[in-house]
Amino acid sequence: MSIASLTKAWQPMSYGFLDASAKRELRRKMLKAIAVPGCQMPYASREVPMARGWGTGGLQVTLTLLKPSSVVKVIDQGADDSVNAASIRSFLSKVSGAAETWDTLAASLIQSRHRIPEERLHAGQILVLQVPNPEPLRPVEPNMSIARQMHADADYGRLWLILYEQIVRSGRIMEGAAYPSLVNGRHVMTPSPIPRWDVPKLHMAQHLTFLSAGREKRLYAVPPFTKVEPLVFSDVPFKVEDHGALTCHRSGVKGFYMNEIPQGDGGSAYELSDSHLGIKAIRQAEGEADRIGATWYQNGQSA
Amino acid sequence: MAYVATRGGARAIDQAERLYRAELGQIDAARVDAVRRALPMLIDRVMGEASLYEPDLAALALAQAGGDLYEAVLLLRAWRTTQPRLAIAEPVRQEQLFTHRRISAAFKDIPGGQILGPTLDYAHRLLATGVLQGRPYSPAPVTPAATAAPAHQPSLAAWQKAQGLVADPARTEVAPDAIPDLTREPLLFPAKRAHTLQSLARADTGGMLTLGYAAMRGYFNAHPTVNELRLAEAEVRVTHPRGTVFSAGRVKVSQAEVTSKGKSGQLNLGFCATLGWNEVKVISGATLDLNAAAAPKGSPVEEEFFLYHTEPVEASGFCIHFKLPHYVTFQSSLDALRGAKASAAPQSEQVPS
Amino acid sequence: MVSERTVGMTQALSLLPPQLMTTPPLLTMTGVSRRYGDVVALHDVSAVVYPGEVLGIVGESGSGKSTLLRMMNLEDTPDTGDYRLALPDLAGNLFGLDRFARRMLCATRIGIVYQNPHQGLLMQHTSSGNVAERLLIAGERSFANLRARGRTALEASEFPLDRMDARPIELSGGMQQRVQLAKAIALEPALLLLDEPTTGLDVSVQALVLDTLKRLQRDRAITMVIVSHDLGVIRTMADRVMVMRRGRVVEQGLSDQIFQDPQHDYTQQLVHAKL
Repeated sequence: MSIASLTKAWQPMSYGFLDASAKRELRRKMLKAIAVPGCQMPYASREVPMARGWGTGGLQVTLTLLKPSSVVKVIDQGADDSVNAASIRSFLSKVSGAAETWDTLAASLIQSRHRIPEERLHAGQILVLQVPNPEPLRPVEPNMSIARQMHADADYGRLWLILYEQIVRSGRIMEGAAYPSLVNGRHVMTPSPIPRWDVPKLHMAQHLTFLSAGREKRLYAVPPFTKVEPLVFSDVPFKVEDHGALTCHRSGVKGFYMNEIPQGDGGSAYELSDSHLGIKAIRQAEGEADRIGATWYQNGQSA
Repeated sequence: MAYVATRGGARAIDQAERLYRAELGQIDAARVDAVRRALPMLIDRVMGEASLYEPDLAALALAQAGGDLYEAVLLLRAWRTTQPRLAIAEPVRQEQLFTHRRISAAFKDIPGGQILGPTLDYAHRLLATGVLQGRPYSPAPVTPAATAAPAHQPSLAAWQKAQGLVADPARTEVAPDAIPDLTREPLLFPAKRAHTLQSLARADTGGMLTLGYAAMRGYFNAHPTVNELRLAEAEVRVTHPRGTVFSAGRVKVSQAEVTSKGKSGQLNLGFCATLGWNEVKVISGATLDLNAAAAPKGSPVEEEFFLYHTEPVEASGFCIHFKLPHYVTFQSSLDALRGAKASAAPQSEQVPS
Repeated sequence: MVSERTVGMTQALSLLPPQLMTTPPLLTMTGVSRRYGDVVALHDVSAVVYPGEVLGIVGESGSGKSTLLRMMNLEDTPDTGDYRLALPDLAGNLFGLDRFARRMLCATRIGIVYQNPHQGLLMQHTSSGNVAERLLIAGERSFANLRARGRTALEASEFPLDRMDARPIELSGGMQQRVQLAKAIALEPALLLLDEPTTGLDVSVQALVLDTLKRLQRDRAITMVIVSHDLGVIRTMADRVMVMRRGRVVEQGLSDQIFQDPQHDYTQQLVHAKL
């Protein structure tokens, strides 16, 4: 018997970068987050080889979930080839050996910044949203310890008050992305800065969503089949962005969330924000066999 | 086309990194060694903010980051977090420190004496331009004192406690592995004392100076007097699995204790310590600590405020993250803005449809 | 809501000593004591308030009168004591309620106006929004109703409606008190607590605000407890008066009784100093 036969060879880092104690803590906090949907769980949040604010929260959750058989998709602003998405994806495959994909249907794990793919996620898929600011109460209460108490009290009057005053002042609700939403009838969460277009995709969804803020050290979850209701007045309906009638100038696809590209002539062109949906549509038009899955929106309307 | 929409993001970021590294050139052991020997104060600052005492790694991080402090700290922190905990060192008491420099502004002389030690405090800040003209600058040799100052010094606060000038709360002994560890637990408020001190020790020197200076200038109550400032070396004593206690080496530490008159007729103390020698940081940190107890919620000298905002990795990362594309969120705001414009001159009494 | 009562009835009722009241009290506080360190803030204080009645609590600063009002608003818990409100679905000692239940009770059944409007208002939000927040906490989710009910409450507080979407920080002290009052009465609370509501206002403004309070009391028959160091205010508002000193109740009785024929030395001093 030798020392070598009893020990593992030295490696510069653990599988999936994070060490076992970090992963154990994350697993526990992730389970707690599932148990209390929408409630922010504080976690230690280790430093990772990326700057804070660049998806380190999402990264830690993803690293904890990864295994060699995982198939990972990473998007930023809807695009797989966005620079930071490319950086995260290559880091993930480097430290875990997991397969990479751009196809929403093929992914077992999707890490995303600011978008939920347009194709419906199915049971068994996990969506990890990167969160810059996990606290929906921040605009009314910047102090974290007071905000925590307000969540415990379900004291959300001032969040509604903001919406009330927006209508009084501007004639409509002026919230853009990160629309505050009530989860499971109890905790208000910020769904990360996804557009309002994407918020209904979380409601009673088949897939599991984790939302994780590395810099702010908070993670929370929306388990499958959980109610996610944007805060609205009974007589002022929730409105998603007015993109239903726009057409992508590249793929010709209509009825999804678009990027607006200002044009030299003073007008705007639009292109699909979900870049891989656009690629699939172009391939299909060119006669290639590429499958587009069922989408949350049909003809620009929530299905 | 926008840089994000560019197909082939992977190639773009690869080339961008090469461009940056081309500027830095080859990094070898000689360069790392030169950085370590030439810039001891910078190495100390980086080790403190990284909460990792390893001058060679700190020099490597600085060389690799081309001197970008926040990058260097992040490199070290990301390395540190993956390292196993082999042992927890024994606590070091004031009188056990090998003290190089120890001054008090509170008294003319103090038990154990004022020891000026190495400092530029009284130097004339003249740039040695002759060096660039080929005249090397070599410091004059130090004349040793007739009697060397003792290596170990008592704590001034201990004398003040004996005089009844400083409150002396009963100490509760905590098992070494039960000491709360900021790097393995989230920082929540009201913060555990251990978390506060650890957080101050890791804080950004510049950020701490800014907030500490605001407090010193008069935003908030306490005017600090430096009770005791120390630059020292601390013996790191750990227990071998077989039970023997041995020294694993020494680390440079700095610590400051500042004081002001409290309401209860006693002196209040603020404390800050860090790895490496960094006087500005510990005096600022101790001033913030001194003010924290009476700080109003939401004020810049409240603990939650200054600890959150002086965390160098979080603050710098969030600052540079604004370079990332935000056009999805921007589009969403634009939609709300145009919607509001379209329903011009809204009647606030009407319910919008 | 009891709204049949007339001015005549108020006068008739105030002639009767409290123990002969036929209806049971709305508020009953028994044996409330509270120390803060070495300071006795309240010592064995008991109080009752009948429906539709205005109880005045008078005393100098440090007498415990404001502390007592805070207890009635469940902002603090005494060391010992019992507090009940005769309201449907509300049994037992209210000091035993948890944080959550307290918050809901205070938001929906008790209104309060503080001396310092910063304590009672969100100064950076609109005036109508301050009223709306109360309604939102109670579960109102219709924007149209929030507007309408906010308007009604502000109107009842005689607040100029053209300024309803101005922020309190932009308003005068008297107007700020009217916003506080509108917020306090928006949910038609069973009990309205007033903590030095006119202290610090100009005399003329003070008179106008007291006028509004009087009118509200008459029109809506709201049960009120008003705390003031100002005997004039208490005399104008209260049906019955409790005199406090050093955390104890030294004398209580009908308003006229106390002012015409004070029994306790301290009350005599107070009344004579005033006259």
